[in-house]
Amino acid sequence: MATFGASATANINPNKSYEVTPSPADSISSLSFSPRADILVATSWDNQVRCWEISRSGASLASAPKASISHDQPVLCSAWKDDGTTVFSGGCDKQAKMWPLLSGGQPVTVAMHDAPIAAMAWIPGMNLLATGSWDKTLKYWDTRQPNPVHTQQLPDKCYTLSVKHPLMVVGTADRNLIVFNLQNPQTEFKRIQSPLKYQTRCVTAFPDQQGFLVGSIEGRVGVHHLDDSQQSKNFTFKCHRDGNEIYSVNSLNFHPVHGTFATAGSDGAFNFWDKDSKQRLKAMSRCNQPIPCSSFNHDGSIYAYAACYDWSKGAENHNPATAKSSIFLHLPQENEVKAKPRVGATGRK
Amino acid sequence: MGKKKKRASEKVWCYYCDREFDDEKILVQHQKAKHFKCHVCHKKLSTASGMVIHVLQVHKENVTKVPNAKTGRDSTDIEIYGMQGIPPDVLAAHYGEEEEEPPAKVAKVEIPSAPLGGVVPRPYGMVYPPQQVPGAARPMYYPGPPMRHPAPVWQMPPPRPQQWYPQNPALSVPPAAHLGYRPQPLFPVQNMGMTQPTSAPVVQPSPVTGVTPPGIPSSSPAMPVPQPLFPVVNNSIPSQASPFSAPLPVGGAQQPSHADALGSANAYPPNNSIPGGTNAHSYASGPNTSGPSIGPPPVIANKAPSNQPNEVYLVWDDEAMSMEERRMALPKYKVHDETSQVSSDLPFLKLRRVCFCTSNPFGRLYLYFSIPDPIVSVLRGTTILFSL
Repeated sequence: MATFGASATANINPNKSYEVTPSPADSISSLSFSPRADILVATSWDNQVRCWEISRSGASLASAPKASISHDQPVLCSAWKDDGTTVFSGGCDKQAKMWPLLSGGQPVTVAMHDAPIAAMAWIPGMNLLATGSWDKTLKYWDTRQPNPVHTQQLPDKCYTLSVKHPLMVVGTADRNLIVFNLQNPQTEFKRIQSPLKYQTRCVTAFPDQQGFLVGSIEGRVGVHHLDDSQQSKNFTFKCHRDGNEIYSVNSLNFHPVHGTFATAGSDGAFNFWDKDSKQRLKAMSRCNQPIPCSSFNHDGSIYAYAACYDWSKGAENHNPATAKSSIFLHLPQENEVKAKPRVGATGRK
Repeated sequence: MGKKKKRASEKVWCYYCDREFDDEKILVQHQKAKHFKCHVCHKKLSTASGMVIHVLQVHKENVTKVPNAKTGRDSTDIEIYGMQGIPPDVLAAHYGEEEEEPPAKVAKVEIPSAPLGGVVPRPYGMVYPPQQVPGAARPMYYPGPPMRHPAPVWQMPPPRPQQWYPQNPALSVPPAAHLGYRPQPLFPVQNMGMTQPTSAPVVQPSPVTGVTPPGIPSSSPAMPVPQPLFPVVNNSIPSQASPFSAPLPVGGAQQPSHADALGSANAYPPNNSIPGGTNAHSYASGPNTSGPSIGPPPVIANKAPSNQPNEVYLVWDDEAMSMEERRMALPKYKVHDETSQVSSDLPFLKLRRVCFCTSNPFGRLYLYFSIPDPIVSVLRGTTILFSL
């Protein structure tokens, strides 16, 4: 829709990413790639969970919409089972549905909460689904049973969670971060207050389970190690800021291969960083809309991100008539995601 | 990088808060910034009494305690400057375990040998293995060996009290001692069993020891943290710093103290409280080589805050709820949910338009909205929050 010519389109998709069509009618709340194949699932505020099969040949991508299911209310989060056959989705209807999409099955409700489910993850080592909700609980579900295997009380509403077996990190309101060792899930391993001074927006666990990243609404990401002996490696850094405006960091994803990570923010930009050398590897151009969610595919060759309104400027800035939601796929170049040795360092550490 | 390999004996430390430093100059800067600073106008004086007099004369206020000092060490009568003026008994207590005679530089020297007997003060963390303290005069406590427990702690009392800036908290230590928990992926391993936690393993003073002594490690590794472009923040970094002050009130059982330390160590807040100032300060003075700050690269955000700190604002600044919660309050999404609480205690109605609003003599407010299920009246006593 290049109504005004180049500049307009450039802003919508300045990175010339491939757009996945058809785009959802309302904002996208989460994106998840299958852990086995290039199948992308997107959940949206229009109550739908859609999936596309992404195919790639060289530098070009193609997407084919495959199927979708609907919920009664906006869907907020999604998770894939580790064998790549089933997708879980949960949202404002306070339920989580299990959708065996590879086999073409129908979705089944497997979880219930008292308030919208804000985050969920599949725990491969235990074959359980963990769901975190605004009702201040975290529940573990064996999908074959209607009752949760365990209900864990949280200090406040759950906003985000991340699992890298056996590490699980839950971010709640009031800046609490609770770490669980899934080998002993009934006990909180550690509860800390976020190193960031503002509301927690997203967390993601390190691939090597040594710690986690936490992003806040104040354009800042904290790198936190769990082991006290590694506390010196903890640091935070600022990002997603533009002049006087400080945008929220909405999504953090580790590259599955290189150990580097990407951040996506309400400023419409996504950046790639290397936490070990403490550098930004690549700053991508800003889209004209915020990026509320993003995901790498299983081998890190595709980075999917959504450009749609995330409510960061309130309801006043939402115009349903002209709002557009897009899902883009970016092919990260090696220099964008490959870890780099620290510039000027003499290899210390 | 400036490697100060002085062996422990020459560690200087602050009488007021028991933090250790690599050299006296830094110690003095620390004292000026933390203990001799006027709390009203932030002027740095050169001694505690000078600060008291300044506050009295200029701000007409009486100061009775040295700021940021430990209880028992906060008297303004004692004239301390760097390592000078420290009462002999305190000095001895501090060095009790050190068992080194010649601290060489610095005045205190004389003390060490004498009092030794007593000790084990451990104000700092214990480091020193309980062993035989005095007499030995050999540095041995240092790294490595003492280990009393081979246990892989993984908890490692991290922060080694004090200083840390050059130091590297524990990290560096690893080389020798420690049991490698370092490498261990804390998580999966878990032998320790999460419950264990602090008390037992922790104790490990050894690690601690390891840390303090080596001035060495400091320079070299680890440091990095702070400077690097990335961090900017400082607050988080300190982490280590905090614990130390906390713990140790001396006293017996190292373990307990350690445990406490650990406990606190985990928590971030203490760190934050550690004055960002200090950290920044320390980094600046620390060895750190290559001014990271300068650091080339791409790092982050040079923009923003630095320019006009006052004018910076958060695009999403509602701490009480997340963007999704606010969005859910929109009637369009709420659908049939007026009665249930979506996320907060108060039902939210997003007002599109208030057609009009009247009140009756009894103080009842009527708001007429143009949304479905118009609310005709609102009871007295309820709170209406209008979020715009």
